[in-house]
Amino acid sequence: MTPLIETTDVRKAYGDFVALDRVSLAISEGELVSIVGPNGAGKTTLVNVLTGLLKPTAGVVRFKGEDIAGIGPVALARRGMARAFQLVHIFPAMTVAETIAVAVISQTGKSLRLFASVKKDAALAARVREVAAIFGLEAKLDDEARLLPQGEKKLLDIASAFALSPEVILLDEPTSGVSTADKHGLMRSVVDAAKRAGVKAIILVEHDMDLVAEYSSRIVALQGGRVLADRAPAQFFADPGIVSVIVGKRVGRLATGG
Amino acid sequence: MTAFVDILIGGVFHAAVLFLVAAGLQLVFGVQKIVNLACGSFYALGAYFGISAVNWAIAAGMPPQLFLPVLIAAGVVLGVIGPAIELLLRTVYDRDEAFQLLLTFALVLMFQDVLRFFWGANPQQLGNLVMAYGKIEVGEVQIPTYNALVIAASVLIAMAIGAFLQRTRFGRILRATAENREMAQALGVNVRWMYASVFTLGTVLGTVGGALVVPTAAASLDMPVELVVEAFAVVVIGGLGSMRGALAGALVVGIMRALAIRYYAELEMLAIYVVVIAILVARPAGLFGKPVE
Amino acid sequence: MMRLALALAAIVALAALPRLISAYYITLVLPAFAYGIALLGFNLLFGYTGLLSFGHALFVAVGAYGAAVLSSKLGVKSFELVLLLSGLAAVLAAVPVALLSVRYVRIFFGILTLAFGMLFHSVLFKFYDLTGGDTGIRVLRPSLLGMDFEKLDKTSFLVGPFYYYCLALLVALAIVMWRVVRSPFGLQLVAIRENPRKAEYLGVRVRFLRFVAFLISAFYCAVGGVILAINTGQADPELAYWTHSGELVFMTVLGGFASFFGPLVGAFTFIFLKSELMGMTQYWRFVLGVILVLIVVLFPRGLVGLVQDVASRASRLVPRAPK
Repeated sequence: MTPLIETTDVRKAYGDFVALDRVSLAISEGELVSIVGPNGAGKTTLVNVLTGLLKPTAGVVRFKGEDIAGIGPVALARRGMARAFQLVHIFPAMTVAETIAVAVISQTGKSLRLFASVKKDAALAARVREVAAIFGLEAKLDDEARLLPQGEKKLLDIASAFALSPEVILLDEPTSGVSTADKHGLMRSVVDAAKRAGVKAIILVEHDMDLVAEYSSRIVALQGGRVLADRAPAQFFADPGIVSVIVGKRVGRLATGG
Repeated sequence: MTAFVDILIGGVFHAAVLFLVAAGLQLVFGVQKIVNLACGSFYALGAYFGISAVNWAIAAGMPPQLFLPVLIAAGVVLGVIGPAIELLLRTVYDRDEAFQLLLTFALVLMFQDVLRFFWGANPQQLGNLVMAYGKIEVGEVQIPTYNALVIAASVLIAMAIGAFLQRTRFGRILRATAENREMAQALGVNVRWMYASVFTLGTVLGTVGGALVVPTAAASLDMPVELVVEAFAVVVIGGLGSMRGALAGALVVGIMRALAIRYYAELEMLAIYVVVIAILVARPAGLFGKPVE
Repeated sequence: MMRLALALAAIVALAALPRLISAYYITLVLPAFAYGIALLGFNLLFGYTGLLSFGHALFVAVGAYGAAVLSSKLGVKSFELVLLLSGLAAVLAAVPVALLSVRYVRIFFGILTLAFGMLFHSVLFKFYDLTGGDTGIRVLRPSLLGMDFEKLDKTSFLVGPFYYYCLALLVALAIVMWRVVRSPFGLQLVAIRENPRKAEYLGVRVRFLRFVAFLISAFYCAVGGVILAINTGQADPELAYWTHSGELVFMTVLGGFASFFGPLVGAFTFIFLKSELMGMTQYWRFVLGVILVLIVVLFPRGLVGLVQDVASRASRLVPRAPK
């Protein structure tokens, strides 16, 4: 199966400093691939290359077979990849419904409709309600985003990315700032939502190895700008060499699948 | 040759005065992140008050030759309005830039009538006092001594500001606060006092600049609004927030203006705006500013 | 619903005005119409898209000079044609300005637009042969809907047929703007204002939409400029000065930039306020400055915001009937 998104020998150098070195990976439909690694390993750079923000110094990055080097967030969204960030981004004065509507409007190509009415657009309203319901926000459609509790702001942030009907969604530490008790709940909602929304693949950047172990179909570990490992969780955690680099002293617990 | 020197001296003189105003703007922007539309009003206030101060001094028996120190003193004395206005600006430090601009615009409106109230609607001049200083001869050329003195004074002030920012403790704290206000506050810097001092310093630079220009130009009610555009041209060309930028920008604007006046009067300010736009497009950070989104 | 009722009441009141008050005051309402239209456009860029321009008087001046050149130098008599062509000229002038400016935000946008405005002012001022220099160009009376009102003297024309035409124009352009801000385009503009980066990630073409909003605002400002010029009979360079742009911002914030009707309220209030103050004291600029300070410090949401606050507090005071 042709990969949905792939990088081939991608290299990103800033003068003498090499952030990424011959990174090749491919993500296909149905996968949830986690990108892990210590800080400074190049995760952010890789993610920025994957999402068209950074042009690689060498190598190719393709989405659905097309070169997406440096195309920028707007073009990326239009091609079918969405990205949600670690820090919550909202439109403070806009309601939940309006926030989601912004994404739907982009996705349905209605940005330049100057005279149509948003309120009277039944198809738009239906889609907004649909997306909101997936994330449990349908009761808060008319609430202003800035008034939502932090957890719901996070949900809204992710929901608006889903509203783009993306084929691939990249989640940048989606559970950071979320309490341990809620982390699994959030991940489960997101994975379920992705299935229902027709998302074909998820890329996850995470530090929480419990989540990574539980939800990934594959784990890509980066170290010093290189791919250290690219395996399914079982093989990943069975290798003490890899685990000690990525996880440190918690080897014992994870190896037993705790 | 004389034409060339005339243009150069005229341009550098104008640059010297512009530098003072721009330096004030840059200091205030660097620390408080406010662009002060009323910088031209301070300049005009310095000009008018300078004229009055000199007239009073002469009427009180001072020899006309001492008018330069009187002008500088007049500019410095006006610094008292600094803290008062800064108090007003405090209300908008944490607000959207639009409100900051509007507040300083309100000051422009208010100062227009303050100037009108105290000095009337007619332009004011210092007559021919400039002649009291005569000219100095450098080789074959004659340079008005007054212009040379002002240029020298401006250079001295520029060096003083530079030394102050780089070498003194207060200067270091000022630069730290400009970089990161919260951090400076956390480290115990009395930010309020810092802001008040910086704004007052910025004000004084503006008023002194205005005072120094009056022997060669009339003070008029158009000054405040006209100067703003030139001052903005200087900071854009030089780069917002940079002292070196203020110097470089002032030289560019001053000399361009002198060239334009001499050769193609219609183009005077037009050429400057074109340069401003060109710089904003090609290199929005200006010559020395920090890169911008 | 409440707003619609108020709007209708206002329109009726304005229509009845010529019969109720003297011609002098009517000649003030015309600039209020002009600025009302200009500010509707300005606020699309400022209130809705979050871009503060300190150079929009440039487009008002393009409108005014368009009317002047078309009527005195090119013999165009039709008001409709003058409006259309001047509006188009403003949009064309806005293209390079917008292309260059929408890459920047906040203070740089403000300074860049200020520079463009002054550039135009400089051109108007200096190129005497083309633009009449500091005296400007005369603006001749147009024909309305093909009808010449030659028999009427200047004032009767202005407070009669021209007044009603401009009122209708204001209402029509307001309806158009109402639809624009409630459209998908308008919603995306607000998203751009609230968080441009996030908007990009949601597929919003931030620069392009800002560009379009800029062009629309230029058109509206030009229409305002045409009305102003016909009212005074003259187009002069001071219309493009940066302080005039500052007044546009002042009026918008006075009325309330966070509301659709705010700018309209601001335009009317400012024109009358300025006129009354000018009659009372020669230091009217000072008073206006103080008022602006009060707005910025105490009433940032303007008059409309103030009324909304009072109304919501009042409604909380009124005891609700038990269910």
